[in-house]
Amino acid sequence: MKTDELQLKRAEISTLLSLLNLTALPVIGFVALLFIYKKTEANTIDRYYVMLGITTNLIAAIALVLVTGLMILLGGFDSPWTWVYVISYFVFVHAMFILFATWTMVRSWTGKKLTKSFLSK
Amino acid sequence: MKYESQGIAKLYFIAAIALFVGQILFGVTMGLQYVMGDFLFPEIPFNVARMVHTNLLIVWLLFGFMGSAYFLVPEEAERELYSPMLAKVMFWVFLTAGVLTILGYLLVPYARLAEITMNDLLPTMGREFLEQPTITKIGIVIVALAFIFNIGMTILSGRKTVINVVLLTGLVGLAVFFLFSFYNPDNLVLDKYFWWFVVHLWVEGVWELIMASLLAYVLIKVTGVDREVIEKWLYIIIAMALISGLVGTGHHFFWIGTPDYWQWLGSIFSALEPIPFFMMTLFAFNVVNKRRRDHPNKAAVLWALGTAVMAFLGAGVWGFLHTLAPVNFYTHGTQITAAHGHMAFYGAYVMVVLTMISYSMPLMRGQKAANVNAQKHEIRSFWIMTISMVFITLLLTGAGIMQVYLQRYAADPLPFMVVQDRLAHFYWAREVAGITFLYGLFLYIYSFFAKGEEVADVE
Repeated sequence: MKTDELQLKRAEISTLLSLLNLTALPVIGFVALLFIYKKTEANTIDRYYVMLGITTNLIAAIALVLVTGLMILLGGFDSPWTWVYVISYFVFVHAMFILFATWTMVRSWTGKKLTKSFLSK
Repeated sequence: MKYESQGIAKLYFIAAIALFVGQILFGVTMGLQYVMGDFLFPEIPFNVARMVHTNLLIVWLLFGFMGSAYFLVPEEAERELYSPMLAKVMFWVFLTAGVLTILGYLLVPYARLAEITMNDLLPTMGREFLEQPTITKIGIVIVALAFIFNIGMTILSGRKTVINVVLLTGLVGLAVFFLFSFYNPDNLVLDKYFWWFVVHLWVEGVWELIMASLLAYVLIKVTGVDREVIEKWLYIIIAMALISGLVGTGHHFFWIGTPDYWQWLGSIFSALEPIPFFMMTLFAFNVVNKRRRDHPNKAAVLWALGTAVMAFLGAGVWGFLHTLAPVNFYTHGTQITAAHGHMAFYGAYVMVVLTMISYSMPLMRGQKAANVNAQKHEIRSFWIMTISMVFITLLLTGAGIMQVYLQRYAADPLPFMVVQDRLAHFYWAREVAGITFLYGLFLYIYSFFAKGEEVADVE
């Protein structure tokens, strides 16, 4: 496989792993992303996407695990309001991360980086 | 517009939008009745407002599907509609039947309506969403048969594409499953089975086929991506929709006196139901990302993407939220169901009809796309309605969680109506979101009349 093709393949796998880490394979997906990172070189498309995956999932971990953890800690386990906020927040924000990871996966299939405008080529 | 008979869709779309306004007006009225119980009582009691709200939704979506089919099928089949006259006649029959039924709900007590329409000869009334008098149901069957005959003959004698065959399959399924509404067994549990064979197999079965085919059609048109690519996606999506959705009906059979195995079947298969919606999102993202042209109708592209995303959120994510039996044990029939219902219907079916209208209306008015100003208003209305619906969903979710906790989980559970009082702040906030949605809808309608600079064709 040529270098370019290999990089594109790695980019695609990275975005898939990022999505899997957010859905079916939490932690396992992230560890796999770290392994791929070690194989990539600076300023390449695969490094770009593997870093994007790592960053996305770290932010997701903070937003989902840490923030909801704090909500429970501060709100109290036995308060219904805690669960109103925790469940609504977790479901919505989690879905947003999944949608973002899906979009990045689709972008990686074309070998292009993300752009500022959602609809720009 | 390639074929003159496609223009018939315009009639259907205008009626659909008018009924949509009615649906939202009754929704806003009912939203207020949640917090002001005697608002418009006894003129429009809550149960009547609710019935009109849900029935108008079904009727206008059916108008939308029919209009979409009348626009799509001639172009896909590469021939004029088999009988434009039949389509026009059925439009007026359906509209008359629909309006008379709604007026019947509003002007006559429901029991009296049942008497007047001779429900006792073939009792079918009294079930949620299927409240229509038997005579109206017969009318719906006649209209559906004539519609399918018309569409079917057009497709059979023209080009058969994956899109129009999937659409036809969905429409035939819609008509066939509606027939279960005529069977009304005395046994309440058995009755629920057949009731869900209509309701569930529509919205989580054959309607998904209709939705996927309409979305695929618009995406081909606005992106220029090869039909073969889109058709492959379509095959996988409808296969997943049917695999998960058919046995997934079981998630409605929890706790109503059915055998325990439904808890396993319902949980497992309905846990798969987000997959086709996720695939639709992936499909729409992928196709738009690979598009070969920037279509001048940006509003239609936005509606198409929005459909995929909101359907995934409403039907997929919010459906999964309460579909597993151990969770549903607590959440069954609470405001969490209402949250799911609102976003799923909006995301999957309202938006796909609006996508079709957005794409086809300018063509039927002799334009490639609506003018710049009109599109600006339409896009703004898209965001207002969609964000409002997100808020409605989140607020109902919050209300539902609180309801579950106070009514079913707490050590000293509170009675239903006491809990409803405690949820008033959620309902007030939801009412504000509902009124904002209504504003978005009016803006959407205004966009059809907005004058402005014609769009440049950049294909």
